[in-house]
Parts: sequence; structure tokens; C-alpha cells
Amino acid sequence: MIWALLGLHLIGCAVIAGIGDGLGNRVFAVAAGAPLVTSIWVIGRVGDANATTAQITWVAGLDLELAFRVGPLAALLTLVVSGIGVLVFGYAAGYFANGIAGVGRFTATLLAFSTAMVGLVWADSIWTLFVFWELTSITSFLLVGYKNTDADARLAARRALLITVAGGLVLLAGLVIMADSAGTGRLSEMTNIGGTSAAVASVLVLVAAATKSAQIPFHVWLPGAMAAPTPVSAYLHSATMVKAGVVLVALAGPIVGDAAPWTPLGISFGLGSMLWGAIGALRHRDAKLILAWGTISQLGLMVALLSVGSAKATFAAIGLLAAHAVFKAALFMVVGEIDVRTGTRRIDELSGLRASMPLTFAVALVSAASMAGLPPTLGFPAKEAAVEAALGLAGAEKAVLLSGVIAGSVLTVAYTTRLMIGLFGSKPDHTASAVAPSRLAMAIPIGILGVSTLAGFVGLGWVTTAVRAAAVQLNPSAEVYSLLRWPGLTTALFISTGIIAGGLAVGVVLARQTMSEPRAVGAQAVDELVAGVLHAARWTTGRVQHGSLPVYLVTMTVVATFAAVPFALGIDTSAVYLSDNGTQLVLAVLAVAGAVASTTVTSRLGAALALGAVGLAVAGLFVAHGAPDLALTQLLVETVVVVGFVLGLGHLHRRFPAADQVWVGVRLTVAGMLGVAVGAALIGSSSAPVGVPPVEDFVAESQTTGGGNNVVNVILTDMRALDTLGEIMVLVIVAVGILALAAPSRDETPALEGEPT
Amino acid sequence: MSLALVFAVAGLVSVGTFLVTSRSLSRIVLGFSMLGHAAVLALLASGGPAGDPPLADQSDLETIANPLPQALSLTAIVISFGLTLFLLALARRQHLLTGGDLVEDDLEDRRIAYEADDNDEIGSAA
Amino acid sequence: MIATRSPIVRLGIRAASPLALVIAAFLFFGGHNRPGGGFAAGLVLGAVVALRTVAGLQRSGGATTVLGAGGLLAGAVAVSPLLFGNTLLDQVVVSTDLPLLGTVKSGSAIIFDAGVTLIVVGLVMALLDGLSATDLAKDPGTRQSAS
Repeated sequence: MIWALLGLHLIGCAVIAGIGDGLGNRVFAVAAGAPLVTSIWVIGRVGDANATTAQITWVAGLDLELAFRVGPLAALLTLVVSGIGVLVFGYAAGYFANGIAGVGRFTATLLAFSTAMVGLVWADSIWTLFVFWELTSITSFLLVGYKNTDADARLAARRALLITVAGGLVLLAGLVIMADSAGTGRLSEMTNIGGTSAAVASVLVLVAAATKSAQIPFHVWLPGAMAAPTPVSAYLHSATMVKAGVVLVALAGPIVGDAAPWTPLGISFGLGSMLWGAIGALRHRDAKLILAWGTISQLGLMVALLSVGSAKATFAAIGLLAAHAVFKAALFMVVGEIDVRTGTRRIDELSGLRASMPLTFAVALVSAASMAGLPPTLGFPAKEAAVEAALGLAGAEKAVLLSGVIAGSVLTVAYTTRLMIGLFGSKPDHTASAVAPSRLAMAIPIGILGVSTLAGFVGLGWVTTAVRAAAVQLNPSAEVYSLLRWPGLTTALFISTGIIAGGLAVGVVLARQTMSEPRAVGAQAVDELVAGVLHAARWTTGRVQHGSLPVYLVTMTVVATFAAVPFALGIDTSAVYLSDNGTQLVLAVLAVAGAVASTTVTSRLGAALALGAVGLAVAGLFVAHGAPDLALTQLLVETVVVVGFVLGLGHLHRRFPAADQVWVGVRLTVAGMLGVAVGAALIGSSSAPVGVPPVEDFVAESQTTGGGNNVVNVILTDMRALDTLGEIMVLVIVAVGILALAAPSRDETPALEGEPT
Repeated sequence: MSLALVFAVAGLVSVGTFLVTSRSLSRIVLGFSMLGHAAVLALLASGGPAGDPPLADQSDLETIANPLPQALSLTAIVISFGLTLFLLALARRQHLLTGGDLVEDDLEDRRIAYEADDNDEIGSAA
Repeated sequence: MIATRSPIVRLGIRAASPLALVIAAFLFFGGHNRPGGGFAAGLVLGAVVALRTVAGLQRSGGATTVLGAGGLLAGAVAVSPLLFGNTLLDQVVVSTDLPLLGTVKSGSAIIFDAGVTLIVVGLVMALLDGLSATDLAKDPGTRQSAS
């Protein structure tokens, strides 16, 4: 079933990418098919403790596999991803009712994102998880930068990509450490790991999660990503992709949660984001940005709760996750609808919408209540559970988390109040905004989400089962907890009442204030960093790549010299002897002498002769080593090369041009260094033999299967014939190259014969 | 390992590097040939000590030289042969076009170097 | 250039050519059992071609034909085992008695080697062609004696 559903998604992507442009807005109906089937399938699995699995193994020994596992947590998340996906596709049909350019490309990318997200929440193998994690980053990049003629959108897309993909690399490192310590690549089979590796992995995983879930200081990409069309923001940047980091923290908690850095770092990320995100939401006037900053804040609370790791906190975090997905998607869609119908989404420009958009207002009110944690909405029991979880802790952890949650929640209620007043209230100095007619395709998904927020409260039993099963998968002790419609007169309820009262007061006051909008300092810093890196790269290139071939070669040579150091350190002097035989010694000296002579002679003919002498000496060395084939070939090669030299250089001036003396000194030094380095590497490499050469096997193989006595030739034409085939192909290419170089070109006038020197 | 061979390899590498970093294309060709010789000798030396030719019907299995590096070396000789011929053709072409055989600086690289000094707006998306 | 002016050198090259062909054949067929092989044979043939071209005994050109033939031959030997369900470059060994050379145990490997030989010869011909060896032979002072 897992394969069938993934296949359905992929077929959908392919079909839409192929013929989507011709379908017009019907393309969204096609796109909704795969998520619809998926959500229908998964709805029966939510709350079911049994898991459905599927896997294809690629390299068993390396745990390289495509492995999926739909357990209770994955089922709940799938319902969120696919269910909201269906609604988003429906909403998009209304949002883009006037048509958009490249609707096929847009819809195919959105469905591809949906596929990647489903794969991500289903992944059981760390490799599968990583691949789908990166795929969500890439599809998000394409969707944020969808308006590819808009420079701001492109910049925001690049920023989002750089941060999330950098986080992906950090994630890969963390996952590899986890898999290495746990001895398995399957998340479902990993048990708690300890030691230094757990500490390192916990930091890496938290940083990765913080980049994806837009936690400070990595949150700077999310406000910019609001450049994406609103359906994208509603889907990726509220309900699904940004949850991936939260899900990662949830999954990694049972494995590295006992490491020392886990809880402090997670709480820092989480509470910091919760407070700073809420403050950001209070300062902006663009409703979409308010929601984006609110998302940073809400995700912060989830990350903080999950990194605490107590059963109650985990349970509360999952409950918040479900509630948040529903109300935040609804609010984004509401803002999108207001934007489409009035032409603005700035809260200081809108007036009188409560009367002119009553249905939208109703949904917004319900969703905002859920965001603020008011009954009778799904957000209330979830927020109660979070406060209870904070109360259930002890010591410093309790003090920090409780005060953070209280402060964050007050601010949350405040920005929610301010948003609602700004969007729907009547402003005395404004005339009521003109409102275009409602679009059914937008109204229906919004209505469904609004009803869901209420239905979640009414049918809290089913929600509790789903959330509890997911939490139990992470922490078995969570079995005893429930989401409660009416908790009784508990401490938590009193705290909540205080939060709401305080928040409302702050919100109402701030709604009357006109504050200066904050500049996107963090985003600017990222952009400047990127520009700086590019500039530094260009500067370095300009300094290093100045165009002189000899200087390039000298630079490379110096670098290569250092590669010999590890070999030189491993030299074993007992493996070294003077020479195999006397002939070898004499010929070696002759070869080097001939080589040195070739550099000192100033005539080209003399140099060619010196080269011939070196070739002869080397051929002699082959004979002394017991390699007659090499000697024969060397001699014949030398003959043809000399012919080539005479033909090729015969036209040139007889003497070499003079060289700069300082430069000669540099070249001599560098050349000497490389010679010593290669010699040391050679000795070092022979100091650690890993075995005896299988000479006898080669001889036997050569006589039996190759049918020849000359082992070297049998190796070349039989055992390693593919090498030889490649080698003769090189010769063919050389021949073709020589012929091509010799062909006269039409637009190049040959210079006069003879050298100017 | 035979120090004589190590000496030959080190010497040929040094001379080859010295010649290759020259600006005269014909010297570069010479340098490549030297480096080719050095590579082949290094391959042989790392394959084991000298011995009898690897002819199965004439040599004793006990004293036979390792045949595999010889086979690899043969390929190496052929490839450096091809490279040398190609470089010669290049030198000839260079001579036809410029009348000399000097390797000149890459103008495109020079251009990048000059532009890097101007603080223009690099990396901005606009 | 010197060679083409000297009748003695020209005669020598003319006389040495058949001898070199015999040496090449010896190296080629004996390669599986003695030092030699397709590459060495190709170089000997190439040297003969080079000498004859420089001496003005033959014109350069035709390199592409020889190269193509060699490539096709070697490629065909490489690929043909696939048709019979074997792996790439699989060998068929046959034992034959040849005069002067004794028993030669070889098969498809020798055809592969023939491809190698042709390619080496083709490379040398390309070199002669590309580096304008015929220009040397067409030196004005030697035109009459060459024809």
C-alpha cells in the first residue's frame, strides 16, 4: 500500500508536469487525488499502535535502503500532511481563479512537495529520512521562488534553501553518528545511545531541526518565505514542512535525549523562539508576516516541550502539533482570502471586514481562539496539557519552562488579539474596505478547517486516542494522559485564565498603537554573508588564478609535496637496500645524468638527444628489472618519439629562448622538493606491504585460460583487456586530435615562419 | 625497495617538474616524457624486487618478477607516448599560429583578476 | 630531408622494409609466449611507415581508414562475446601449429591484438600527416629524384 500511494503521488506529479498547463484550474483537482487517497487510507490507521512497513534494500551491508514505517505518529502526521494538502489544492483553485502563468509547473512542484513530505514522515531508515528531508527543502525553494521574475522572491528562496540545506548537512552528520552508535540505520530499531557520540549527535540533530523549524537564530528564512503564494505558505510554512524539525526532535528524543546538551539546548532554541517569535508577531502589520512569526513562536513551544522529554511534555507537544496544523492553515487561508478579496493584507489598511466577510470572520475567530488556547476549540486542551506538563516538572527545569510558557502564551494571546482586531475591526479613521465576491473554492477549505477546530474539541476522544498513540510510540509512559474538555479547577486552569486575561489586555492596548515595523536584520545579515562569500571567492580567484601556467603548476607542485608527509613518517629503513643489481645502479645514475643534461643544453636538438639517452637508460632499467616487454616497447616508442620531435619541432628556432633567472631558482627549488617528496612517498609505500604479490596465480591463470606463456601480454590482452581497450581508445583520440590540430582553420592567418628571438 | 630506482624516480621527477614549469612548449614536452619515465619506474619499483622475466615456460616461479606492475607500466608507457605525440602536435600548431612555442598567460583568468579588484555588486540577486 | 637526397638511404629503407615486416609479424604472433605483442608490432610497422614517408617512398594520408579499421576490429572482439551470452572481452582460445613459430595457442585475443596494431600504425600515420611529413619530402631539391 505504501508503494502504491507513493507511486500514485509520483504519477500525479508526472502527469501534471506533462499536461498540467493545458488543464487550467482543473489541474488542482487532479493534484488533490493522491493526497485524498492517502488521507482516506491513513484515517483508519490513526491511533492504531500497529505499524505498516515497506522496504527495498539496496546495499544490505551498509544499511542503504528505502524503508518506510507508518506507525501511530506517522499516521497522525500523514493525516495532517495529506488532509491539509487536499484542502490546499482546493483552496489554490479559488486563490488562482484568474489563472496563473505556469500552473502546471506550480501544481506539480506543490504535489512533489506533498510527496516528499509524506516520504519524510514515513521514513524509517535514516538515509530515507535524509533524502526526503532534502527533497522538502528543494521543493520549498522552488515554491518560494515561484515568482521567478521577482528579485525579492528569488532572494528569499535562496536564503531559505541555504539555511535549510545547511541544516540538512548537519542532520546527515547527526544521523550518521546515531546510526553508527546504535548499530542500525532503522529509527524504529534504535535504542538510547550514550557517551560523547550521543552528545554530539544531539547537538547536530537540534541544530538541524532548528533550521527546518525556523528556530532562532535560524528563523530568518521563514518571514522571507512569505513571498510564496499564500496556498504555499498555508501548506509548507505553517502546517507541514516547518513541522519536520519538530518531528525530528520527537523521533530523536528517545535515542539521544539523555545526552547532556539535549534538554538545555532544546529549551533554549524553543523558548527563545517562542518569545522572540511572539514579539515579532506583535510588531508586524502584514498579516501574513504576523502569522509567520507566530509559527516560529508556536514551533518553539513544541521544540521546548519535546526536548524536555517527559511523557507529559511529549504528549502535550503532539497535541499542540495537531491543533496548530489545523488553526494555522486556516488562518493563512483566511489572510489569503482577505488579500484576494480586498487587495491588501495589512492590518492597518483593513476596516469593517467583520460585517462584510462574516463567514470568514467566524472561521478566523474559531481558529484564533484555538491559537490563543480558548475553549471550545482544539487549542484549549492542547495548551492546558502544555501548562500541566510544565507544572509537572521539578527544579530549575520547571521554573524556566513554566515562566517561558506563561510569558510566551501571554504574548501569543496578545498578538492573536491584535491580529483579529486589525483584520476585522472597524477603524474610526478608515472607510470600510471594498470587498470582492466570495469564491466557493476558497470558502469551502476554510470552512472545513474552521469546523475541524471545533469538531476536534467536540470529538476530543478520537483526537486523544490519536495523540496518545503517537506519544506512546515515543514514550510509553504517555499512556495515562488525556486531552480534557474540562480539566476542573486545577492550577493550570488558573494560570491559563491569567494568561488569557493578561494577553487580551496587552493585545487590545497594542492594537491601538502604531509601531514601527522591524527591519529584517537577520535576513540582511544572511544576504550580506552570502554576498561576502561570493566576493571573497572572486577576490581569491583573482589572486590565485592570474593566468600563468607555470605558476599554476608550481602552486600545485608545492601542495602535492605535502601529500608525501604521511608516507615519509611511515618509512621503515629495513625495507630499503641499495640496488637489485649493479647494472641497475649504473643505469639509474645514467638516466638522471641524461635528464639533467637535457635541462642544461640550450639547443633543441641536444635536448631531444638527451631525452633519447634517458629513454635508453630507462629501457635498460627495465631489462635489469626483468621486464623485457617494457624494454622492447620503450625502445620502439623512443624511435617514434624522436621522429615526432624532428617533425614537430624541426621548424622551430634551434635554441631555446632564455629564461628569467629568479624564476629558474624558484622552479629548481620546487622541482627538488617534489623529487624528494616522491622518493620519500615511494619508500614509505613499500614500508607497509599488505601482502605478497600473487605472482604464481598470475602465471597459472595466464597458461590455463589465456593460453600464453608471456604473462605480461596475457594480462594485457586477456585478464585486463578492458584496460587495453580503453588505452587504444586514448590512442585513437590522440590521433584524431593530431589530425584536427593539423587541419588549417579558415579564420586564422599563420604567422611568418621563424622565431622572433 | 631499491634505492637506485628511488634515486632514478626522484631525479626524473625533479627534472620533469623543472621542465614542465617552463614557458617553452617543447621543454614542457620533454618534461612530460621525464615524468612518464618516472611514473613507470615508480610503478615497477613498488611492485617488488627485480627478478626473471615473467615468461612462464622459461623462468623459475621462485625468481620471477611480479608481472602485474609490468602490465600496468606497459599501459602507462603507451599513454605517455600518446600524450607526448599530442603535445608535439600542439607545439607545432602554436608555432604555426604565433611563430614561437611559448605558453602565454590565460587572458580570461587575467580578466577575472582585474574585475575582482573592482568592488562591484557581486551576489546581489538584482 | 637528408634521407630523400641520399639514394643510399632510400635504397636502404627500401631494402629494410620487408625485413621490418617480418620482424613485426614475429613480434605480433609470438607476443603471447615471448616479448612482443600487438603494440610492439604496431610500433615497428609505424617506424617503417615513418621512414618510408620521410624518404618520399610513400605519401602520408589514409590514417583515418587504418584507425577506423583497428577500432572496429578491437571493438568487435570486445563486444561479440556479449552476443553469445558471455561477458565483455571474453576470450576463445584455439591451438594451431604454425610454421617457424611452433604451436600457437591463441584465439580471439590475437584479433584484438591486430586491432591494437592497426591503431598504433594509424596513430603514427596521423602524426606524419598532422606534422606535415610530406612537406619535408616535397623539398624542391629532391622533387625530381623522388619521382
